[in-house]
Amino acid sequence: MAKKQRVAIVGVGYSTVGRNTGLSLDTLTAQSSIAAMEDAGVTPKDIDGVAVHSFPHQYVSATHTAAMLGIPDLDFYSSSVDGAAYSVAALHGIAAVASGSSEMCLTLRTVHRAGAAGGSALIGGPDAGIGGNFQFSMPYGSFTGSHWAGLYMQRHMAMYGTKEEDFGAFAVAQREYAVKNPTESFFHDPLTLDDYMNSRYIAKPLHLLDCDYPVDSSSALIFTTEERARDLKQKAVFFDSWAMGTTKEADFSLVEDMTHSSPWMAAKRMWSKTDLTPADVDTAGLYDGFTFIAMQWMEALGFCGEGESGPFVTAGNTRADGLLPTNTDGGACNVGRRHGANFFIEVTRQLRGTAGDRALPKQPKVGVVANAVGGFAASALLTAD
Amino acid sequence: MTQQAAASPPIPAPNELTAFFWEGAKQDKLLIQQCNSCHKFQHWPEPVCHHCLSFDLGHGEVSGRGTVYSYEIATQAFHPYFEDKLPFVIAVVELEEQPNLKLITNLVDFADEQLQVGAAVEVTFRPLNDDFNLPVFRPAAG
Repeated sequence: MAKKQRVAIVGVGYSTVGRNTGLSLDTLTAQSSIAAMEDAGVTPKDIDGVAVHSFPHQYVSATHTAAMLGIPDLDFYSSSVDGAAYSVAALHGIAAVASGSSEMCLTLRTVHRAGAAGGSALIGGPDAGIGGNFQFSMPYGSFTGSHWAGLYMQRHMAMYGTKEEDFGAFAVAQREYAVKNPTESFFHDPLTLDDYMNSRYIAKPLHLLDCDYPVDSSSALIFTTEERARDLKQKAVFFDSWAMGTTKEADFSLVEDMTHSSPWMAAKRMWSKTDLTPADVDTAGLYDGFTFIAMQWMEALGFCGEGESGPFVTAGNTRADGLLPTNTDGGACNVGRRHGANFFIEVTRQLRGTAGDRALPKQPKVGVVANAVGGFAASALLTAD
Repeated sequence: MTQQAAASPPIPAPNELTAFFWEGAKQDKLLIQQCNSCHKFQHWPEPVCHHCLSFDLGHGEVSGRGTVYSYEIATQAFHPYFEDKLPFVIAVVELEEQPNLKLITNLVDFADEQLQVGAAVEVTFRPLNDDFNLPVFRPAAG
C-alpha cells in the first residue's frame, strides 16, 4: 500500500493566447504542455499521468495528448468534461500523485474562444428543437453564463445591500495588477469605476466588465511527489489541502441558495483538512468568470463575513497592499479565459518568488486558489516551504 | 395580429419526460413533475424522484402563485428571436407549493418599481408559436 504523497507543482506553462489564434485545440495543448515541461526541466519520458478538462463540444483527450507528446506509457489518465473547469484536472492530478497512481502528472485546460459559452453552441439551426433541460431555459432567452450571473448578483444585492459599484471596485482593483502584467494581459490601461459603470449591461445588473475575456488558450501544470520535486529546476510549491463541492441541483439558475452555492461546500471541506486558517493566507487566485464569483469565494473561504464581500472589496482589501491580494495576474477579465488554470499558475509564481513586477510587498508563503461557482466548485491551498 | 418577427423562437423538443409540461402550458395550466410515492414536486423533470428515489412519477397542476427569487434585465440577445424584444426580464420564480421548487421564466407586465426580489407573482401564458405556450409570470392580482 503506497503511502499518501505530498504533492508539488513543479512546472507551469501557457500556449499562445489570443482572440483568434487560428491554432487547433491540439496545437494549443501541445504548446502549453511543452512550456510546462521546459519550466520544470523534464521530458515526456518523465511524465506518467495526464489529466485534462475540456468541454464536450471542445473535447481534448488525455490519451491523445500523451500520444501527441510522445509520452511512452501512462499509469494514470483522465479526460473530464463535467464540472469546475481546470480545477477538475488539477484535483484529478493531485489525487493521482498523492495516491501513488502517478509519479508525475501533466494537468491541462484548453479552450477555444468560439462557442466556449456553451449553451448557445448547442442550438442547431433555426428549425432545430431544444432538447434536454435547455428547453426550460432557452425559450425564455436564457442562453449563457451571463444569464445566471445576473441573477446571482441581483440576489446578493437584494439580500445584503451589495451595489453594482462593489463589483466594479473588484474589476478596478484587478486591472491594477493587469497593468503590471503587460505580456499576458489584454488590457493595459487603468480602469476607473466610471469606466465600469459606463460599460454596457449584458443582463442588468451584470456589466460587460464583470465578464472574463474570451480567448483561445491552453494552460498546463505539472505535479509530482515531494521527493522528485527536490531534484527539479524550480522551487517547489505544495498542495496543502484541496476539495470539490457541488449543490444538489445541477442547474446554476436553480440552486437552492445563490449566495451560498458550491464554493461554500468546497471551502468548508478544504479548511477541514488543514491546520491553516484564512488568517494564514497571503494571496488568492479566485475565479472571475464573472466578478461576483471571486466575491462569493471571499465569503465562502472566510476572508470576510457572510454577505460582506462588497464592502470588503470596496475597502481595497484585494489590492496589493490589502488584506488579501487577489488575482495578481489581472484575473481572467484581463488575461483572458483560462478557466481557472491562471490562478494556479499565478499563485505558484507568487509563492516561488518569480512574479516580477507583481511581486507582493511581503513574500507570500500561503496562497489559495478557487474555481467555479453555482452547481460545482473546487479550491486548494498552496504553500511554499 | 401583429406582423410576425422575422426570426423563429427557440422551440422546445419535448420527449416522454417533458411532454406533459408543454401540453399543460398549451391549455394554460402549469404542470410540474410530481412523485406518485412521496408526492413531492421536482423541476426539471427527471426519470427518478430525487426525494425518495421512486421511478413512479407523474405530474400535478400547481397554483401558479409564487415569489421572485431573483431577476435580471436582459439587454443583449443571444438569439435572433430576442433582438426586437430587448429589454426583457429573465427571472427565477419560487412556487408556493414547496420550498426550493423553482423555474427559470420571464416576468411580464411589471412596472419598474414593482420589479423586486420577493415580489408576489402569478403564472400567465404567452404563445411562443402555434404549437407552444410559454408559462411566464406577472404581478399577483391584489
